[in-house]
Amino acid sequence: MSRRLFPPCRFACLAAALLLLSGAAASAAEGMPQLNFANPLTLAQIVWGAIIFAVLYVIFARSSLPQVAEVLANRETRITGDLEAARDAKAAADTAVAEVNAATARARSEAQASINAAVEQAKKEAADRARVLNERLEQQLQTSEGQIAAARNSALGAIREVATDTARVMVSRLTGRTPDRQAIDDAVGQALAARGQA
Amino acid sequence: MEPAEPTIDALGQFRLFPSLGMLGRSVNFTQANTFMVIGGLLTMALLYYGMRPRAIVPGRLQSAAELAYNFIYDMCVSQVGEEGKRFFPFVFTLFFFVLMGNLLGLLPYAFTYTSHIAITGALALMVIVVVTIVAIRENGTHFFTEYFFPAGTPKALAPLIIPIEVISYLSRPVSLSIRLFANMVAGHVMFEVFATFTVMLAGLGLFGPLIAVGPVVINVALVGFELLVACLQAYVFAILTCIYLHDAVHLH
Amino acid sequence: MNENPDGTGPPRGGEPSFEERLRAARGRKRLDEPPASRGGSAAGGGFGQSPLGIGLRVGVEMVAAMAVAVGIGWALDHWLHTAPLFIALFVLLGGAAGVLNVWRMFAPRPERTPRA
Repeated sequence: MSRRLFPPCRFACLAAALLLLSGAAASAAEGMPQLNFANPLTLAQIVWGAIIFAVLYVIFARSSLPQVAEVLANRETRITGDLEAARDAKAAADTAVAEVNAATARARSEAQASINAAVEQAKKEAADRARVLNERLEQQLQTSEGQIAAARNSALGAIREVATDTARVMVSRLTGRTPDRQAIDDAVGQALAARGQA
Repeated sequence: MEPAEPTIDALGQFRLFPSLGMLGRSVNFTQANTFMVIGGLLTMALLYYGMRPRAIVPGRLQSAAELAYNFIYDMCVSQVGEEGKRFFPFVFTLFFFVLMGNLLGLLPYAFTYTSHIAITGALALMVIVVVTIVAIRENGTHFFTEYFFPAGTPKALAPLIIPIEVISYLSRPVSLSIRLFANMVAGHVMFEVFATFTVMLAGLGLFGPLIAVGPVVINVALVGFELLVACLQAYVFAILTCIYLHDAVHLH
Repeated sequence: MNENPDGTGPPRGGEPSFEERLRAARGRKRLDEPPASRGGSAAGGGFGQSPLGIGLRVGVEMVAAMAVAVGIGWALDHWLHTAPLFIALFVLLGGAAGVLNVWRMFAPRPERTPRA
């Protein structure tokens, strides 16, 4: 930004300075101090400058810069180490999470299996008990049916006797004579047969 | 320019004086050398005082010191290549020597030693001597034939190519030193000219002091600009050194 | 609001996950790259960008080359007593060297591969 601002400004400055310099050129004609090599100081400053530069170079190269390099290297190894550690920790965490997930899934499936087995077992036991009960009931039913049939049969047998006796008594009372036994038997038999109960 | 008016002595600021009293006078120790020492001490202060915490997470001053270190280090490696690491201390010293000269010169009463062609010339000469020594060490005498007369050039062109390349090579220290010298002198002459202008205008009747504000404003803007130039010229000096070193190591 | 229904993907509003940040940090340090590819990228010596700056640099390069050439020419003449010959020749060569300097200034830097 400042760069954009400067060139025109610098042009103006240069123009003004050159204008003034041309005026000042006369006073500068005796020479720039920089080019006054007659002055022993001009060359002396080079000698001292060379000595100072050499001393600075040795100090920087031997002491200052290695010290900075050491700090930078320390940081580099530290950051690298930390990043490696972070990556390793992350990997470890990831495997741990995966293990936990796997264990959870395994436990869940095992629990499901045992639940299923228990339910199966319970169902089977219930079915067994039901079957036994059914069998017993069936048995009792059959026994009862047998008893009922026997009772009915005996009752039906008694009906014929009762009917025969009743018929003979009724006939003897009505007619006053003893009816033929055989005939009554046949009549009762016929009547029973007609009702389908003989 | 009327002779009655105060003359513009734009160049007096570059005059050399013995420094450090009698002792300095006896060994011709100039104020330029004093400012070299100050610049060096400031750089060392930055590196030692700044790096003193030796912190993993650097503070402000340590960041500045590390920035300075990394800036030059990256410059060496990116411009020269892996071999650049060997020249890093040299380029670092060079850069801060020039930078401190440029920056200290912007302070009032300070002396800009980089405004002396003798100093910039000596620096450039040192650079070119170092570059040449490096080139000969890296490539032997093969350097001369390869550098000044690249393989594949027609033999007939040798009388033309070789002098041109030699001139081009020898002009490097000249352009290196003139560029820095001219930039510094131009900036400081402009400071001086506008400052004198202000003084002249201020004593010029009723409206003089009012108009005199103009050059002051220009000088304030100029200080900002010269700060930029001071850093840029130090950077240019250092990076050109790196480029020359690259050419010396890799031959073009 | 910015809850993440499933705890995986990039979570909560713009803040990168730990994984992404770790990867970015490692990328900055180039830890995951093969070590061979860690070369410095070409930094291109671009400096002195303003038109005035470029003009000044071109001028300085030309003047420097010319000064060296005239110096050599004058010295050769002085030594061999061939007054205007070498200085005239070297003025031409100096101009050519100045152009070469300027061309080198703007020409793209050749590849940083050491030649055989």
